[in-house]
Amino acid sequence: MLARQAALGDKTAFSQLVSRHGAALYRYVSRLLHDTHDAQDCVQEVMLSAWRNIASFRGSSSVRTWLLVMGRHEAQKIARQRQPHFPQSGSRPAIDFDDVVADMRNRHSGPEGDTLEAELLAALDASLSLLPERQRSVWVLREIEHLSYTEIATVVGTTPTAVRGLLQRARTAIATSMEEWR
Amino acid sequence: MNDGDESDLTVEEQDDRAADVSAGGNKSSERLARATVLLRQHTDIGWKAIEDNVIARALTLYRPSAPVRGHHEYGDFFLAADLLVAQLRSVIDAVPSAAARDITCVTDAQDHLESVTIQLIAAYGASLLEVANRIHAVAVRELRQLLGTLAPTAGQVHTHVHFGDVSDDPSVVN
Repeated sequence: MLARQAALGDKTAFSQLVSRHGAALYRYVSRLLHDTHDAQDCVQEVMLSAWRNIASFRGSSSVRTWLLVMGRHEAQKIARQRQPHFPQSGSRPAIDFDDVVADMRNRHSGPEGDTLEAELLAALDASLSLLPERQRSVWVLREIEHLSYTEIATVVGTTPTAVRGLLQRARTAIATSMEEWR
Repeated sequence: MNDGDESDLTVEEQDDRAADVSAGGNKSSERLARATVLLRQHTDIGWKAIEDNVIARALTLYRPSAPVRGHHEYGDFFLAADLLVAQLRSVIDAVPSAAARDITCVTDAQDHLESVTIQLIAAYGASLLEVANRIHAVAVRELRQLLGTLAPTAGQVHTHVHFGDVSDDPSVVN
């Protein structure tokens, strides 16, 4: 409904769409880019594009899925600009495993209590950063954003069956990584 | 739904449940479950910092508009296609039981208006052919007002009725 109103030029409706979906979009692209400024640029660009093109949004997917598709494409574009040898979507990112595990342990070395949750989040982010991009995307979109396999397949550009396999591998890899965090 | 009955669950939910079972409830899987919940509830500071700016920048975005040629007693003139669309939208939205979903214009190499496609949302229960006829009439009248003698005549404007959506929301269709 908001998308229809925004397509009719309603700026308030578009603002509501941005507020409703912006946090999830940011959460997703920042797990693809690992850099706050890049993630901010990415979301900004996606929202500009959304406003420019919302009249052509046909409603064959949800607005959220539409934004996430654009977010993934934009994130890949930014990543390629930053790193010319950016790995293809199915391959492992160029991150040293030992560095990440050491980082996870370091994050745990602080005082117990109110920082524990922040450390848990950091450990999960570190585990996610070890995954190939498609597995990371599938895991975040299912476990965090609760998208269906069909919606995830639209975002990642594959089939629901492939999504199921990617998710299973991602779950196993993250569980293994999190065991390193003591 | 029965708690133990998997037949009502989606494939996704069945897989989620299987993953929970295979994790087995040890300390490591509890930490992962807790971290997942935290990430789900977490709103990144980076987003909070840019939210207002994102909205402001998007809404001030300049959208270039193609010219559409019109003609009045002093000669030819050009009208921005965005303005033409906005004017059409306002007269169409004034028609009871209808609202414009999307309006697109096609011009030729000399910027003459060749065709206008108007996608409509009609109120549930409205006579769609009657609505289409009324829209056709107001669109032709408005185009004549905007473009003068270069506007397509009623006979040149063909109406094709396609039902794309139905809504009973009074905020969408008056």
